Amino acid sequence: MSITSFYFLIFYALVLFVYYIVPKKGQWVILLLASILYYLFSDNGFLIFYPLAAVLVCHAGVRRMVRIRERAEKAEAQKRCRRTLIGVIAVNVGALFLLKYINFGINTVNGIASLFREGELLHGLNWLVPLGISYYSLTLIGYVADVYFEIARPLKNPGKTALYGMFFPCMLSGPILRFREDAEQLFEPHPFDYVQVTRGMQRMLWGFFKVLVISERMGKIVDTVYGSYAQYPGLYIWLGTVAFAFQLYTNFSGGMDISLGIAQTFGLKLPENFERPFFSRTISEYWRRWHITLGVWMKEYVFYPILRSALFAKLGKKLRARFGKKMGKQLTTFAGMFLLWFAVGVWHGGDWKYVIGSGLLHWAYIVCGELLEPVYAKGMAKLGIDPKAKWVDRLRMLRTFFLVNIGFVFFRADSVGAACAMLKEAVSVFNPGILIDGSIFTLGLDWIEFTIAVVSLLMLLAVSLQQEKGPVRERIGKKSLPVRWIIWYALLFYVILLGNYGPGYTAAEFIYQGF
Amino acid sequence: MTREEVYETLNGVFQDVFDDESIEVNDETTSDDIEDWDSLEHINLIAAVEQEFGVKFNMGQVVSMKNVGEMVDIILSQID
Repeated sequence: MSITSFYFLIFYALVLFVYYIVPKKGQWVILLLASILYYLFSDNGFLIFYPLAAVLVCHAGVRRMVRIRERAEKAEAQKRCRRTLIGVIAVNVGALFLLKYINFGINTVNGIASLFREGELLHGLNWLVPLGISYYSLTLIGYVADVYFEIARPLKNPGKTALYGMFFPCMLSGPILRFREDAEQLFEPHPFDYVQVTRGMQRMLWGFFKVLVISERMGKIVDTVYGSYAQYPGLYIWLGTVAFAFQLYTNFSGGMDISLGIAQTFGLKLPENFERPFFSRTISEYWRRWHITLGVWMKEYVFYPILRSALFAKLGKKLRARFGKKMGKQLTTFAGMFLLWFAVGVWHGGDWKYVIGSGLLHWAYIVCGELLEPVYAKGMAKLGIDPKAKWVDRLRMLRTFFLVNIGFVFFRADSVGAACAMLKEAVSVFNPGILIDGSIFTLGLDWIEFTIAVVSLLMLLAVSLQQEKGPVRERIGKKSLPVRWIIWYALLFYVILLGNYGPGYTAAEFIYQGF
Repeated sequence: MTREEVYETLNGVFQDVFDDESIEVNDETTSDDIEDWDSLEHINLIAAVEQEFGVKFNMGQVVSMKNVGEMVDIILSQID
């Protein structure tokens, strides 16, 4: 059941209605039941035993820690809680790896073996992957780790753990929740608040606009160019890639608008996942604005523990002795970042194209950026350029967008080999003529559709620029009633008339659902 | 070790991590007072303090510490 489908909207309306008529104490139970039903109604709903098992393992781990701490003395308790934490992580990460990444290992082994012999050494497995596994696994691991670190309240009721782990708006593509910031509100009573409900619905509508009007159209261009790139070289590849950047952004962030909008109608505030990432001036900034909850999770539960590990303390000491204090520290951080970005890349999918395209390539960008910073500063000082000037910032944004797009080529292409071939095609043919001879209308969108896409992208840009100045829905809310109605009904009809729904009113799959 | 002695050693750690010989910290010092003290440097600082004093902060303490005074409290509670 896609969250842009007609059936989902009916389901959601029913849940919302029941949520506000039951006694406030029971609201969380309604959300839990809705989450379970949502899972059962989704494709391969029987796979619900995976998230339920993950919930039970995490809940049992947490309760075990509580019991250990009540009975054992501090040092002993710490040791035994640590073992419990490692056990819980091993089960969850193990399931994630077995289901999602085993073919990555098998393909890599086969790839290496093919250098020496013919045929496949190992056969790939074709297991069904449960919906949301990449999201609920991280959400739950973070909870158990926080209980271990004594910064989260251990839950007594397994039903509440289940709701936290499987809350339905987060199942499709996040956001990844953080227990100590996001969980408690799920169990608190929420009286009906007209403003929250309407604002939430407005946000959902904006999400539908992004997904159905923009993303679907961009997808057609992308499929044409990436489907037969030999036929579409040079500027076509750049156009296709920029279209993909917007397809992915509007699809993923639009999905988030719908999820966060739904949560808002329940009176809940989920963490933001996007802050207009294409306005970023550096790659580091980009990752603070794109898929924010993944970045925060990785930083807190992967990167920091790595940096604080005994191994890294030793490495840091050695590197500082060898390369001096400053360089040594920098190199240690780069080594930790390498593991971090490897993990981010692997999270996106079991394929080297993801490990490179949304992992190691970004690591390389950040490392180069840090190393070259003094050179840039010197160069700008010599040329008398003010590094804080607006036009310099604009250039930085363009540069960052360009670098991110190179990553997207890997992300979208069929394989690393295909991505390299495409990048070669992209720079070896010079064909700016396609912009004026009508060729761009052969990429899957005729001139009417193309115009709609461009106008919609301009609308997105205008709203994004406004969002940089502050919350847009609030400002619209302060306008007079007719103005408000005109804005929201215009958007509603725009989406209804120009949204691309497939058969059964379902948009194409959410791209990040697969991760 | 007295609180004063902890501060003496701690000043050295701060000066080393932030590469600034002029840093002097006290109970009220926070990350706002030292220019380069961002989240990454915070982790580097924690690692350096742990090594210097032979103590171990848990992640809860790492994220909830409000000022240097709280850091010193934790150090003192572990070396006594």
